Amino acid sequence: MLASYNLLKNIVDLDGISPKEIADKLTFAGLEVEGIEYLAQASNLVIGQILEVQNHPDSNHLHILKVDEGEKYGVEQIVCGAPNVRVGLKVIVARPGAKLPAKDIVICKSTIRGVESNGMCCALNELGVDKLYLTEAQINGIEELNDDAPVGEENVLAYLGLDDVVFDINVLANRSDCLALYSIAKELGSLFNRKVNIPTPIKYDEVDSEFITSSDTEDCPQFSIKAVKGVVTKPSPLWLQRALMAEGIRSINNIVDIGNYVMLLTGQPLHMYDMKKLKGNKFVVKNNFEGDLVALDEKSYHIENGDLVVTNNDVPVCLAGTMGLLNVAIDDHTIDIAIEAANFKGSTVRKTGNRLGLSSESSARFQKGINPYQDEFVLDLTAQLLVELAEAKVVCKTVRYSTLDENDTKIECSISYINSRLGTTFTKEEIVNVLTRLNIKVCDVDGDNFLAFPPDYRIDLKCDADLSEEVIRYIGFGAIKSILPEMPTTTGGYTSFQQKRLNLRNLLINQGFNEVLTYALVSPKLNDSFVVLNNDEPYVILNPMTVEHSITRRGLVASMLEVIEYNIAHQQKDLAFFEVSGIDTKTQVYQELCVCLNGSKNIRGLLEKKPYDFYDIHGVMEAIFNMLGIDKNRYKEVRLEDSKYYHPGRTTKIMMGKDIIGVCGQVHPTLSKDIGDTYILNLNLTKLFDVRVSSTKMSPVSIYPSVIRDLAFVVNKNVLAGDMIRTMKKNGKSIVKDIQIFDVYQGEFLAKDTKSIAFTITYQDDNKTLVDNDISQAEQSIISALLKEFNAVLRS
Amino acid sequence: MKERLNQIHDEALQEIDNINSMDGLQVVRNTYLSKKSELMQFMGKMKDLKNEERAAFGQFINSIKNEISEKLEHKRKALEEAKLKEKLEKEVVDFTLPSFSYQKGSKHPFQIIVDQVSEIFIGMGYDIAEGPEVELDFFNFELLNVPKDHPARDMQDSFYIDETHLMRSQTSPVQAHVMLKAEGKGPIKIISPGKVYRRDDDATHSHQFGQIEGLVIDKNINMGNLLSTLELFAKSMFGEKREVRMRSSYFPFTEPSVEADISCFECGGKGCKLCKGTGWIEILGAGMVHPHVLEMCGFDTKEYQGFAFGVGIERVAMLKYGIDHIRKFYTNDKRFLTQFVKE
Repeated sequence: MLASYNLLKNIVDLDGISPKEIADKLTFAGLEVEGIEYLAQASNLVIGQILEVQNHPDSNHLHILKVDEGEKYGVEQIVCGAPNVRVGLKVIVARPGAKLPAKDIVICKSTIRGVESNGMCCALNELGVDKLYLTEAQINGIEELNDDAPVGEENVLAYLGLDDVVFDINVLANRSDCLALYSIAKELGSLFNRKVNIPTPIKYDEVDSEFITSSDTEDCPQFSIKAVKGVVTKPSPLWLQRALMAEGIRSINNIVDIGNYVMLLTGQPLHMYDMKKLKGNKFVVKNNFEGDLVALDEKSYHIENGDLVVTNNDVPVCLAGTMGLLNVAIDDHTIDIAIEAANFKGSTVRKTGNRLGLSSESSARFQKGINPYQDEFVLDLTAQLLVELAEAKVVCKTVRYSTLDENDTKIECSISYINSRLGTTFTKEEIVNVLTRLNIKVCDVDGDNFLAFPPDYRIDLKCDADLSEEVIRYIGFGAIKSILPEMPTTTGGYTSFQQKRLNLRNLLINQGFNEVLTYALVSPKLNDSFVVLNNDEPYVILNPMTVEHSITRRGLVASMLEVIEYNIAHQQKDLAFFEVSGIDTKTQVYQELCVCLNGSKNIRGLLEKKPYDFYDIHGVMEAIFNMLGIDKNRYKEVRLEDSKYYHPGRTTKIMMGKDIIGVCGQVHPTLSKDIGDTYILNLNLTKLFDVRVSSTKMSPVSIYPSVIRDLAFVVNKNVLAGDMIRTMKKNGKSIVKDIQIFDVYQGEFLAKDTKSIAFTITYQDDNKTLVDNDISQAEQSIISALLKEFNAVLRS
Repeated sequence: MKERLNQIHDEALQEIDNINSMDGLQVVRNTYLSKKSELMQFMGKMKDLKNEERAAFGQFINSIKNEISEKLEHKRKALEEAKLKEKLEKEVVDFTLPSFSYQKGSKHPFQIIVDQVSEIFIGMGYDIAEGPEVELDFFNFELLNVPKDHPARDMQDSFYIDETHLMRSQTSPVQAHVMLKAEGKGPIKIISPGKVYRRDDDATHSHQFGQIEGLVIDKNINMGNLLSTLELFAKSMFGEKREVRMRSSYFPFTEPSVEADISCFECGGKGCKLCKGTGWIEILGAGMVHPHVLEMCGFDTKEYQGFAFGVGIERVAMLKYGIDHIRKFYTNDKRFLTQFVKE
């Protein structure tokens, strides 16, 4: 909302209060002033009259002027390039020393192509007036002042009505009443304790109206029409043009301008009908019209059931609150006007406007809510202006339809409640004084409790908490003392899940991974790939902004690969990334981890680097399980051979019982042609963190010596070393403490399709020193078990 | 005899001088000092001497022996020193060559803020509450005092899934869940960090962004408590000297509602580019929980009051780290990510 300082000064006494003070006060009271702008800004101006025009000898467009600048400054010579200079013309002169911030220049005495020039004749845009409000001629030439302009006048901006300051106020949703200058003036009156003068409109001898008004729908609880006859359409007076300019509205003519002006003052949108074009005398607001209508902008709009339409003898005449219709619009020849002041339901106006792509100052006010009790006042004010500025001859009585009850808002509140909410110790007098200044009537009940009656325009005040806000925003938040809550001590902290997640992220970060953040809404195409953990149906967005972000993702892997592609496309390589994020699909809400490796591990820069392989990503998985205390025997890994997204020989499913909790392996080479070999670890953290693990208990370290022996076996190449170790541990009895693989060989010295695996086995007994016999017994049972289970042949 | 001994002495010293290896040293030692050496053989011949000559002769041989020993030891030290010197010279490294990489990775700046804020509030006894990102509008709006028909519920502002479900547009529904679960009993002290979704897209808005909201409900909670909590937060997050000021504002969820500004941490309040010359940075929305919200969520407003606050995660990160565009959070360029290693 733009608010003109000059207009406000007409309504409330702001003597001695600077625009800056006003802006600060409003801002802290909840009406944030986002900008202070000047209609025009310039110093050292004077009104002059051209006495003589000569062509510049060295230019085909410059003129040498002799300008009379009044008694004080006399006649000065000015070189001027404007095409519209002529003898007798009264002009705005910027004298040497003048500052014109709009052009960022300071005027100096100068010599222009050899001719002395002592000043500059100005156009209005050079003084900072927005070109939006100027004609082509005004922009191309210097400003032509009226013949009666006083030569020598130095307060030129005031003479032009351009000495105004405009506040750009961010009116919040609950204070729609402040979309009216009268309300802002009242706020200022209360804030600065100054007198507010809102004039009562003149009551004319009104004649009876021929109109009848009603509404068929609850979405229009009030509809009033006032007819005013015999108007003359002409340009608005300068003060009205300037007032509208300050409010960011272009002047059209006196009739249209009055409508806009009244809305700016009161917040009540008005609509005007040309009575000659109306078919009858019966206005009815309906919401069951369907069909196409041509609006003021000469475009056709399709109206649906539910849209509010004003009808006149059943003919639609207005898209209520949104836009008038062309068939009954006022024009330069309009003589008799029917003026509408109604209350349309905001949500309905909003819905219609959004669907049709229409919005206006009027519809914005309806959408935010207007004062429903001021239509008669507003129509009287409009009539008065039409009489004063448009020569209206006849004013009819207002015809009013309303189902609204009298404003009976009553709030029960207490002094102690307000103080307990604010943490303050305001006295009753202080609180009552503030509320009274806000035009809220206060009736004492018992010294502490009181009843409050807010004024009509404060439709936002509904309960005791609202009153506490009024008190503190007026007295100022500086009155609140900072004091920590007095309440029972709570321990607070991360949940077990949150702690594990943090530990996991820290583990990865400390291992050199970079954490990434991707969008949870993805494209359907992306969402179809790399789905192993979650085959649930995604949620589909009804109103996506783009198809790229139109459904909820089923997993993180596809998003991660996009990140890899992006980085490789931007010459970034050797990537070790991870992301932890929630997944929301129709029946699954859980947290997922995606770890990704691409390129090489730079062990010593480029001097020593190792391309990432399966064992790098698998090691990440093992580190995580190890950190969580989940033993290898708690989960099982199975080769994932049937996925088109993963390398069939280099990918595993991590199973706990029948549950898949993760996938670990390589992206299928056909899908990583552009980015190179890429390794993924994808875990369902919700399931993983839910695995119960025993609490840590120290076990004694054996005091007896250990014995280390090696064994090597030849097996079929498809036998898994891990399976062999499991068997060895099972059969080697409790004295087998550790088994490590120290060599795997496949090649020319072995039969086709076989491989040799060599193990280092550590034997130790907790209770005695082992003798040779103990070890050979254990070895024997290991050897025979491996032979039986894997057809493993001991290598000599 | 004496003559021969002098000769041996001279020869030995000459040879010691010429030694240039440990092996050579051993050979010379054997030649002159082993039992079978000529010098030692002379020792055996002493018994043939007269008593009065024996002592002087013994002394003489010993002095020669000692001198050779000493010289040999001296030579050995010199050789060892030379060897060590050679070894050290060989082992000189170029300390500017790439070292073994123990490089730590990096937290995403979004998560840095989440973790930091979480730590701050955990220190004050808060719990961290989380919730689903697909929400019922009942939790996202209704319980937060945003009734049907309210402009904030416009289709065009939120991502709807059907008439009743949407991508949450704020993390406040988590607060509603927590309040309902408490069944009217305080205290509640939570913050809820998380991702939210709105139909928005420009330099400071992304359709997905993060919020951290806080909620405290108990008997005797007032705006002074809110102010002190925000001050503690501002100081922990942006430095000990930060101040907080409140301005009146509007949120359906709270009454009174405030915008909380913190004194600029770049210029200390003098006015700079970051705070647009005002000395203050707008950062938090807050207020006293609206009585309707408490009632709808099962609290007796005669007994309980509460405050709530909210802060944008990317906004804080952008201010703190001078990040100029919200999209940078989501492109995950390695050159961007690795700048946050020390956080």
